[in-house]
Amino acid sequence: MAASLNRASVKFGNFTALRDISLDIEAGDFWTILGPSGCGKSTMLRLVSDLVPPASGTVEILGKTTEAARLAREFAFVFQDATLLPWRSALKNVELPLEIGRKRGINIPTGERSPRELLELVGLKGREDALPHELSGGMRQRVAIARALVCQPKLLLMDEPFGALDEMTRDHLNLQLLDIWRETGTTILFVTHSIPEAIFLGQKVLMLKANPGRVKDVVEVDLPFPREIALRDTPQFNSYCARLRALLEDC
Amino acid sequence: MSVTETAVENVATERMLSAQSRTRLVNIAIPLGTAVALLLIWQIGVRVFEVPIYIAPAPTDVLHVFQTDFALLLRNFWPTFLESLAGFFIGNMAAILIAVAFVHSRLVERAFFPIAVFINTIPILAIAPILVLIFGPGMTAKVVIAALICFFPTLVNMVRGLQSVSPQTLELARILSASKSEVFWKIRLPSSLPFLFSALKIASTTCVIGAIVGEWIGANVGLGALIIESTFNFRSPLLYATVFVSSGLSVLLFASVTIAEKLIVRW
Repeated sequence: MAASLNRASVKFGNFTALRDISLDIEAGDFWTILGPSGCGKSTMLRLVSDLVPPASGTVEILGKTTEAARLAREFAFVFQDATLLPWRSALKNVELPLEIGRKRGINIPTGERSPRELLELVGLKGREDALPHELSGGMRQRVAIARALVCQPKLLLMDEPFGALDEMTRDHLNLQLLDIWRETGTTILFVTHSIPEAIFLGQKVLMLKANPGRVKDVVEVDLPFPREIALRDTPQFNSYCARLRALLEDC
Repeated sequence: MSVTETAVENVATERMLSAQSRTRLVNIAIPLGTAVALLLIWQIGVRVFEVPIYIAPAPTDVLHVFQTDFALLLRNFWPTFLESLAGFFIGNMAAILIAVAFVHSRLVERAFFPIAVFINTIPILAIAPILVLIFGPGMTAKVVIAALICFFPTLVNMVRGLQSVSPQTLELARILSASKSEVFWKIRLPSSLPFLFSALKIASTTCVIGAIVGEWIGANVGLGALIIESTFNFRSPLLYATVFVSSGLSVLLFASVTIAEKLIVRW
């Protein structure tokens, strides 16, 4: 089990952001999370990544507490904004996780792939020395993905990472992300507000409901891998879209 | 055929290059020409209306002073230069350290920020005599005044710069289990550099003003002292020359800060 939540709730003061979330996420799965805005999609990722504490209930990652998992670098986070440090080159940004946390006695796990190889994996070979402002939005997000992979996390949390990108770039990065998922075998939790993206990427789509955030449904996407862009024009794909849209309107 | 094509292309690129260099030349020529024209009008105006030299000297008179009294100007340049530079370093260093303390402790900020604002509201001309009384007629008072004038803009900018890190970047730091000192050295401090350099550019010109104001109150060397002396003795050409040297000193410090910024802040 990569992550399991047991009746977990999150409160911000009097406001209940998430209530009674119970989920078991199998190792190696690709989950996408959909829901109306303000339903706590991002909060759920922050709960799993030890950024916000549960008000009640428990969250475990690979059988450890979220704090222990954070200290062991079991998970990594990719934000909507690439959050690269603008004064560091692409390569130096990817190396950042290897430089931080040493003083706290954290045993930093280094993956099989070097930062240079990871940049190659995300298709940025030759741009190692470029500063973030010299890269396009899509390239910056790929650097952020490479940075997330540098400690070889078992769980990758992604908060609308392609939300600010144009359609073409987004399609391209979706395919690349599926390749990375297949190659690394990591578990992925991917928040999005695009129904087609949720279906195209996920094995399971978690639908959340707003006020307070609760689990509405988990939809298994029974479409074959490896997936190609053409899959999106098939009737099966469209019937999933229709089904999820109906669910979403019902939230 | 292809040869003529390349020839045509060559001519085109040459034309483009010459057009580029022409615009560059025009960009330099326009302000330079305007300055020369103004100096000419000044020169002709002073001569035609026969303005006495102690009221308004002609540019040539000022130029003449630069030749005859260069040693005098230089002798008074160095003290002001040193006071400005020392004030610049001390004032900015204090501002940076206090900004770091403010960012790390809300209590320190709440205790000392109002005091910093209060000190900043006292006109530098009003506080200068007090400082000269305290520190005596030597260099110290001038350095302190120059430091004081640099202090506040740098403090405000540096606090903003250290706080300019996005919430997501701080979340990233937390996920990486970064310690407070790592967040400071690897994230906050580099983030603040563009803000710091904006403040240093302001300080590089104001520190000269501080040093000169300090010299007005009580000094026998320095550009400020020379300004007072030449005014009282009606040596207007010398006064004008001193003013030019003072502004030249500001330009020198400003240019140094700008070059340092270009080398350090490359993003």
